[in-house]
Amino acid sequence: MSGFDAALTAEAAELLYREAWHLDRREWEVWLALYTDDAVFWAPAIAGDEGFSEDPDNDVSLIYLDRPGLEARIFRIEGRDSFASAPLPHTAHVVSNVRATEAGDAEIEVSATWLVNSFRRTDPPILRAGRYAYTLRRVEAGLAIARKTVYVLDDRIVGPIDIFNI
Amino acid sequence: MTGTSAHAFVDDRPGDGIFRVRRAAFVEPGLFEREMERIFQRCWNYICHDSQLGERGRYVRGTVGRYPVFAIRGLDGTIRCFHDSCPHRGSMLTRGRAGVQPTITCRYHGWAFNADGKCIRVRGRDTGYSPEALDRLGTDLKPVARVASYRGFVFACIDPDAEDLETFLGDARPFIDLMADQSERGMEVLKGESTYVMRANWKLQTENSTDGYHVATVHRNFAHTVRQRETLSGGADDARAKTEASRILDLESIRSGGYDVGNGHMINWSDRGSPEAAPLNEAREAITARFGEGKARWMIDRGRTVTIFPNFFLNDVASTCIRLWRPIAVDLTEIDTWCLAPVGETAEARRARIRKYEDFFLPSSLAVPDDVRAMEVAHSGSLAAGGDAWNDLALGYATMVAGADEAARELGARPLYSNPGRESETPFYAFWREWRRRMDGR
Repeated sequence: MSGFDAALTAEAAELLYREAWHLDRREWEVWLALYTDDAVFWAPAIAGDEGFSEDPDNDVSLIYLDRPGLEARIFRIEGRDSFASAPLPHTAHVVSNVRATEAGDAEIEVSATWLVNSFRRTDPPILRAGRYAYTLRRVEAGLAIARKTVYVLDDRIVGPIDIFNI
Repeated sequence: MTGTSAHAFVDDRPGDGIFRVRRAAFVEPGLFEREMERIFQRCWNYICHDSQLGERGRYVRGTVGRYPVFAIRGLDGTIRCFHDSCPHRGSMLTRGRAGVQPTITCRYHGWAFNADGKCIRVRGRDTGYSPEALDRLGTDLKPVARVASYRGFVFACIDPDAEDLETFLGDARPFIDLMADQSERGMEVLKGESTYVMRANWKLQTENSTDGYHVATVHRNFAHTVRQRETLSGGADDARAKTEASRILDLESIRSGGYDVGNGHMINWSDRGSPEAAPLNEAREAITARFGEGKARWMIDRGRTVTIFPNFFLNDVASTCIRLWRPIAVDLTEIDTWCLAPVGETAEARRARIRKYEDFFLPSSLAVPDDVRAMEVAHSGSLAAGGDAWNDLALGYATMVAGADEAARELGARPLYSNPGRESETPFYAFWREWRRRMDGR
């Protein structure tokens, strides 16, 4: 990890914070609009004691979705017909340790650390943590998310995992 | 609770057409100890698939009831299973859930063992111990009484007098074969596992695993969601990328059924609405040539769950899944899940299999979270009136028949009872009869 690009990091962090803000407020359509049409959302699974799955075509991931897959997740949440997803928990995303670097081709690589607290009356409170690796792309409106990788550190998963609580 | 016969929990009166389970069977804390002793410590327990024990010295941790054990590929290539406990002072010996330890060294005091379980080092052997003392305490790893593999599925049992594994699996075997026979080169567990927690009794997972009645209610959301996704994608180019939702939404248009195959094992099946969506469809010709049309139909055109008493299942419906559920307490269960795949399938089939697996079998999927929720509220609700209410498992009783139905005969399988239609509760009788028999020590 080379020099710290404060201006680029601030620009990227603003997008990450905005994403967290929309997820915590359940503004699903606004949230999805942050993603490019060819976006990939990937949460690798735990593999062994210290690793994660690496190749989504050959290993099992927790979540590996393209844009229609993300839209279908919103359909599932908003339909309120998923037994696990209604009522939804209240969530609070905390995003920190953001660091951005230019990756060429109008793309920016961003790493960050996250915590999500989820609360639902009938369940124990759930604290999850992990790392994000983003690829952001410069588009007309500013920056958009072309790829989001979410490393979920929990190796004994309590409660459902969905796009809004990791 | 000790001293109460399990007959007080299972009201089985075949002559009167009545089969009921008292809800206290799920929530009564006093039953848990007895289940550990009389079921898990006497039954065969699934440990791992042999593809997870590739090279010599590779181990996988497991449990037999509450006993920590590990299976390991020995120096001679044999799979053995040992208590995960140092003969010296009892420390667990494995360092993680899985790994390679050709020499197993106890981290506490440094005793070491080879992968065959032979002690190869006692620190202070010559200076601190008398030969008599070493003889008395026994320095080799303590093997689990029984370990056996059926078609690559490795089981262990700590009861030296238990029936052998093949006898225990009995008439579930032809259904296990439908998973094991999918590639001439064998099957493999894919990288990327998951362990998740359910705040409910383990027997709710056993029932849920073979319960065809909840599919149309709990999983209609899964079916609607994947249909929505396919509409948004504008239809996939590859048929395998599609998810066949019709088996969930259009039950009246497909054949389905359930079997009690004895020894507590249960089968549930449904024909696929669109078999071309099955990743195994590419092997149809080879499979038909090897096994004939009847078995090929069962392997490719028919989704199946095989629930093995008490806590293990193979599911080949949405994708191919191995699931093991470990009772931790009366109201807490840990569930492990893996994707099992045919060695040598095409990249397209592999990718489709993995995506379908992720759609259904994970705590981050479109189905398992809904199942877990359903089981958790079934547990909570069963606490009403102290569990003093009955689950009357009458659904489908009128259509149950003794012996094999036509579909079972196609496979040469020999169920004790068959039910045409997956929306029946009669396969549960298999589990509860075995549970009662073992709990009462018969």
